[in-house]
Amino acid sequence: MDTLLQSLVSGTLTGTLYAMIAVGLTVVFGVMRIINMAHGEMVMLGMFGAYWAHEAGIDPFVSLLLWMPAMFAFGMAVQRFLLARVIPSGELNTLLYTAGLSLLIANLALFFWNGDYRTISLDYGMTPARPFGISVSIPLAIAFGLAIALTSALYLFLARTDTGRAVRATAQNPDSAALMGVNVARIDMITFGLGTALAGAAGVLLAPSLYLYPTVGEILIVKCFVIAVLGGLGSIPGAIAGGVLRGVVESLGAVYVSVAYKDAIGFVLFLGVLLLRPAGLFGVGRTS
Amino acid sequence: MNNSAIGAAVARKGVFDSRLMGAAGALVLLLAPLAAPNPFFHHLLIMVLFSTLLGVAWNLLGGYAGQVSFGHAAFLGVGAYATMLLHLKLGWSPWLGLAAGGALATLIAVPIGLLCFRLRGPYFSLATLAVAEIVRLVALNWESLTAGPQGLLITQLPELTLFGHAVDWESKLPFYYIAALLALLAMGANHFIAQSRLGAYLLAVREDMDSAEAAGIDTVRTRVVALALSAALVGLAGGFYGLYFRYVDPDAVFSVALSVEMVFIAVVGGIATTGGPIVGAIFLVTISEVFRERFQSGHLIFYGLFMMLIVRYLPEGIWGKLRALLRLAVGR
Amino acid sequence: MALLEVNQLRKDFGGLRAVSDLSFRLEAGQILGLIGPNGAGKTTAFNLMAGFIPATSGEVRLDGENVVGLRPHAIVRRGIARTFQIVKPFRKLTVLENVTLAAFLREPVRARAAAAARSILALLDLAGKADCDASDLTLGQQKRLEIARCLATRPKLLFLDEPMGGLNPTEVEAACELVQKLSDSGITVILVEHHMRAIMKISDRVVVLHHGVKIADDAPADVVRNPAVVKAYLGEGAA
Repeated sequence: MDTLLQSLVSGTLTGTLYAMIAVGLTVVFGVMRIINMAHGEMVMLGMFGAYWAHEAGIDPFVSLLLWMPAMFAFGMAVQRFLLARVIPSGELNTLLYTAGLSLLIANLALFFWNGDYRTISLDYGMTPARPFGISVSIPLAIAFGLAIALTSALYLFLARTDTGRAVRATAQNPDSAALMGVNVARIDMITFGLGTALAGAAGVLLAPSLYLYPTVGEILIVKCFVIAVLGGLGSIPGAIAGGVLRGVVESLGAVYVSVAYKDAIGFVLFLGVLLLRPAGLFGVGRTS
Repeated sequence: MNNSAIGAAVARKGVFDSRLMGAAGALVLLLAPLAAPNPFFHHLLIMVLFSTLLGVAWNLLGGYAGQVSFGHAAFLGVGAYATMLLHLKLGWSPWLGLAAGGALATLIAVPIGLLCFRLRGPYFSLATLAVAEIVRLVALNWESLTAGPQGLLITQLPELTLFGHAVDWESKLPFYYIAALLALLAMGANHFIAQSRLGAYLLAVREDMDSAEAAGIDTVRTRVVALALSAALVGLAGGFYGLYFRYVDPDAVFSVALSVEMVFIAVVGGIATTGGPIVGAIFLVTISEVFRERFQSGHLIFYGLFMMLIVRYLPEGIWGKLRALLRLAVGR
Repeated sequence: MALLEVNQLRKDFGGLRAVSDLSFRLEAGQILGLIGPNGAGKTTAFNLMAGFIPATSGEVRLDGENVVGLRPHAIVRRGIARTFQIVKPFRKLTVLENVTLAAFLREPVRARAAAAARSILALLDLAGKADCDASDLTLGQQKRLEIARCLATRPKLLFLDEPMGGLNPTEVEAACELVQKLSDSGITVILVEHHMRAIMKISDRVVVLHHGVKIADDAPADVVRNPAVVKAYLGEGAA
């Protein structure tokens, strides 16, 4: 019973961070209809940001204040100067282009920072907290809390602000939004900036709990694609539910099936959903 | 004059007579290793042919049918492991194993296709990524069969006598000719398919799925057939990989990087062209050789960069562009 | 036996009943007009009958054989072809290639399929455009190209979804003649159209849908006098 509870808790914590990455992916998809293959590299950049901040004596969680705006600006620039020119040539071209971008960023990072596995060891990360006899890593718990706060902030931004409404209008119908006076090019930049900032922030939050190395994005992105598709691409609640579900399934699988196959279980879950509910659990994905 | 009209004009003049080009290509392939009797040069030629084979295979599905797969390494790995295991565990001839590798890759492609083709466009691409991950994880963890991360090693290939001579497996030449044969086979198949009804159906599926159905085309079957053919060629390539290097491990043959290389070869060379993958392969091998020596995985930086540049400025690929220019020059 | 027999065909989208127990019969050789105000469910009915969306319940019998549950290409094979309201040619392929693709259904050899395609293009006055990319055609030509693609599958029954939408009066006139010509050549036609004058002129019979329900099924002259139809189009109080 304790093992079950323990797996549920740690699965939920990790799953929430997966969810945050997937939300970034899904928001970009919802508005711009593109799948950003380089999203995992944005997470990786966030992780390295946290690492360098830690090396410089700044607490990784505090460094969010620096890296989120920086990643937002980076995302806007990528959209403005790179993607905006490719998107009109079709979704497959865009997919290939962002795959190229992903290779470029990951391997530039590998070139400049080499492939060593790095870790961030925090004083308060040494001994886990033990509420109700369940072991909880403190950095992971902090990350969990911040992930919820940031994802909710994004949600409120989309729901309550004028810019957020313009983003949602563009997601529903870019042409009508443009007719209503929405500057779609600007909305695309903001959206891509937000997606990138969310990915970067997730990277910062994950950094104290994972090994970091330049090609870590590859593994994360595959997982988060799966989550976003599980939840139905374009759906924020879907991405959140998918993320938590995946985290829990993985950690239960690690305990009850096998550690070696814990990642495979997540993918099998994914294929199962494709088979039974090809539109995703929340039914907004487009299928044949 | 538009492109097709030019194409028709050129076809009448016979400049691009495919039989002529095929024969010339075969001759070049036959003689190429004589250009420099040096094992490293032969190795490069082998890698170009191997990459061409991969590019042609990917192009059938990704270029002609427009179904971009990021998971083709799965088929390469299955082909490689099948060939190696059938030899190591059951004592099959590696050459029979090579064919079996292709067959097995085809066999697993069908259920994978039926599953993943429930999804369209980018969704399909993501699903292929996930399937390839599953296959990789299975290969990594099914240690009783695959020896896991340790990999499989063939210390010596069995003797083979051809025309009264024992084949020297320590030399590169036999492998060169096998690779050449496989690449020619793939390009021939590609050329034949492009001319056939299947080729037309693949283009229809790429252009518009609804219209294809309205024209009476079974879009699911067409895509599954394309995937199966593509997987068969990649499976053969995998078997060849295993025998040439005599060693496979999951990171070598199931990696995402390998899947991306296949995409790169086809995209850089020219989507939906027969000749494109050769150009893409030469490009890929050159970049990787130039930079692999200098700094580790530096070549991947350039793969990424070139992929972005090509998609942005030359979406028809290098060969696609050259061909259009040639046709223009000839047409006038 | 009627060529087409639709029985109790129904489609629910969530709580919305887009097509409600639609039934009608159509004899071979007729032209049937399917009309109704915007959102009446005409295109949905087309999509159901051609297999593009799955029906909630009901059957569609072609020559007595139920085709509900078949995928679109299988229905095309049995002899129902359809055009799209928003034209969907294969844009990057030539006009000839567009039609040849469809001709492959009955003629697997490329040379013969292409020959069949050329004769259909001639019939539709597109022979001169055979080697143009489909995206270079005018809207009127693209609509004819879609019809050409349908004809290449040798249909018994042809569904035309707003073949006259967006065309100028001369083109509408030509389209009417074309539909008549197709009908004379033995193809049964159902067309959805907003162009009332055209539909009243060429249809043998008109079915009127309103909120997914069939409210009239009669000769054109009788349909226009039907109070329920007038009310549906002009609103309460007009009748």
